[in-house]
Amino acid sequence: MTETPPSGNPPPDAPVKIHATGVTRHFGRGTKRVDALGPIDLDIRTGEFCCIVGPSGCGKSTFLRVVAGLVRPSEGRVEITAGTPHPAAMVFQDYGISPWKTVLANVRFGLDIQRVPRKEADARARDWLARLKLAEFADAYPAALSGGMRQRVSIARALAVEPEILLMDEPFAALDAQLRTILQDELLEICQADRRTVLFVTHSLEEALLLGDRVLVMSSRPGRVIAERVPPFERPRTGAVRTSPEFAAMQAELWMLLRGEVETSGAAR
Amino acid sequence: MSDGTTEATEAEAAKAEAPGTAATTPDGTNGTVGTPGAPGAPGTEQAKPTPTLLLTRSPGPAELDPDRARRRRRTLEITLGIAVPLLLLLWWQLAVQQKWIDSRIYPAPQTILEDGWKRLVDGKLWPDIWATLKRVVPGFLLGSLAGYVVGLLTGSIPLVRAALEPMLDALYVVPKLALLPIFLLIFGLGETPQIMLVAVTVFFLIWIQTMAAVLAVPEGYREAATVFGASQWQMYRHILIPASLPPVVVGLRLASGMAVLVIVASEGLASPNNDGLGYLIFNAKNIFDQKAMYVGIITVAVVGVLFSELVRLIGRLLTPWAPDRRGPGGS
Ligand SMILES: Nc1ncnc2c1ncn2[C@@H]1O[C@H](COP(=O)(O)OP(=O)(O)O)[C@@H](O)[C@H]1O
Ligand SMILES: [Mg+2]
Repeated sequence: MTETPPSGNPPPDAPVKIHATGVTRHFGRGTKRVDALGPIDLDIRTGEFCCIVGPSGCGKSTFLRVVAGLVRPSEGRVEITAGTPHPAAMVFQDYGISPWKTVLANVRFGLDIQRVPRKEADARARDWLARLKLAEFADAYPAALSGGMRQRVSIARALAVEPEILLMDEPFAALDAQLRTILQDELLEICQADRRTVLFVTHSLEEALLLGDRVLVMSSRPGRVIAERVPPFERPRTGAVRTSPEFAAMQAELWMLLRGEVETSGAAR
Repeated sequence: MSDGTTEATEAEAAKAEAPGTAATTPDGTNGTVGTPGAPGAPGTEQAKPTPTLLLTRSPGPAELDPDRARRRRRTLEITLGIAVPLLLLLWWQLAVQQKWIDSRIYPAPQTILEDGWKRLVDGKLWPDIWATLKRVVPGFLLGSLAGYVVGLLTGSIPLVRAALEPMLDALYVVPKLALLPIFLLIFGLGETPQIMLVAVTVFFLIWIQTMAAVLAVPEGYREAATVFGASQWQMYRHILIPASLPPVVVGLRLASGMAVLVIVASEGLASPNNDGLGYLIFNAKNIFDQKAMYVGIITVAVVGVLFSELVRLIGRLLTPWAPDRRGPGGS
């Protein structure tokens, strides 16, 4: 249904990492049944940064959770080509980090689970804390951090395990505009440095165009992929592409598409 | 305490309308100053001055000198905590001296204290305290450990919950003291029946509290661990045990009180060597030694408070991330 469009980078012949066919998911039974998602057919190649935008409640989180293995699809299947049984790390929109662990212990969490020796785990965690400018809070508890800092802890935690697949569910949604811009630029830098396969859900078109190799637009619930675009910006990118005319044009085009969906989903309620 | 959010209402502003009058909150930090819209307006009704308000939000004592404010608050709390019971005792003392109440049934606090002090220095009280502690502490440890383990399992594994919950619920409502005769039959006349009675009481409290706490752990914490591929044991170690600890510590404090309560009652019913604070109290009542009875009751109260504070302290050490809900003066 959806064929992978050619794009400069990652190489178009990169092997498929995530292969979804006919994925749907519904919740509840009888009159309470909610068709949350799909059917979704999708191929994501190794090293691709794929952004998903769509009206709220269209099933974006559900799709991510299916890929993460947190919920099973009702129909269809997702095939992931991976080197380990747990190739993914996820950045949650909320409730990411544990209040009972210090910042360092939170970032080290995935490494602890993977039984990385403590010394090495500490070193890697501290390295990521430094990259996300949290080094001086290593021993603080999350209760003492601001929202933006907590979200950075949660991103550091996901990146510290150097996952094959990075799943991010509206990671910047709760942040203010300035902080979001800063973190977007940081994420851009990090992801270009070590190309991982990233599935990034956002409601911000700007964010999707800036970060993504490919932007998928989902319909209102049950969410299907109704359009996809390849932002025409060479990598390595910087935040400066935000100001280019192509950026504005594509953003306007996607907004037209999305707006229709937002309006239908509004009318359905 | 001032929290910097004092609101000024129109009514307050109206009260402060006279020129030069400032409405100030009692601590003098957050105030409302009302000034009439037109100078010299008071009295002229038709002018209808709309008051302009000057609302100030300035540092209060707690902000200007946090250490001092905290110390003062703590001192105040401790003073209150001591003064209130002391006043009641004084009132009691007065009531006895004025013969408002019968000193044979309610001996004066002074008499009780003198008697208690004598027993302490004579060494007559210690064996009873020691006997009670020897029953309460092992019973408490046994019961809370078992309750915690069963609570974790029933909270985290739905099938275990389905299998055990109805049965445990049914046993929970049985008054634990009613089990004493059974335990006496099973375990004979030694210390074991008393220890088991405390253990069973604590077990049910901690089990229910732990199960509820585990069930209340937000799904998001578990999911984060699941995605990283946490094993069952890692899920307990990294998520379920720490996330459930703060409410369980509260449960442990409640249970420590219940444990003392149950041991005193059961020692009153059947004490193997005729010792323990419960025996002291009930025996004193039987031989009409009211002073000894009150000494026993007060000792039980002191032991109970110390026990519960000890549990609280251990709880604080176990949960360093949890906010201390003791208020601004809290330790
Ligand atoms: N666990 C669940 N139980 C019942 N309904 C759910 C559950 N998870 C999601 N849904 C429903 O599925 C739909 C899609 O949800 P979600 O994937 O969270 O949307 P999005 O992330 O795109 O905003 C929503 O209508 C939501 O109410
Ligand atoms: Mg969502």
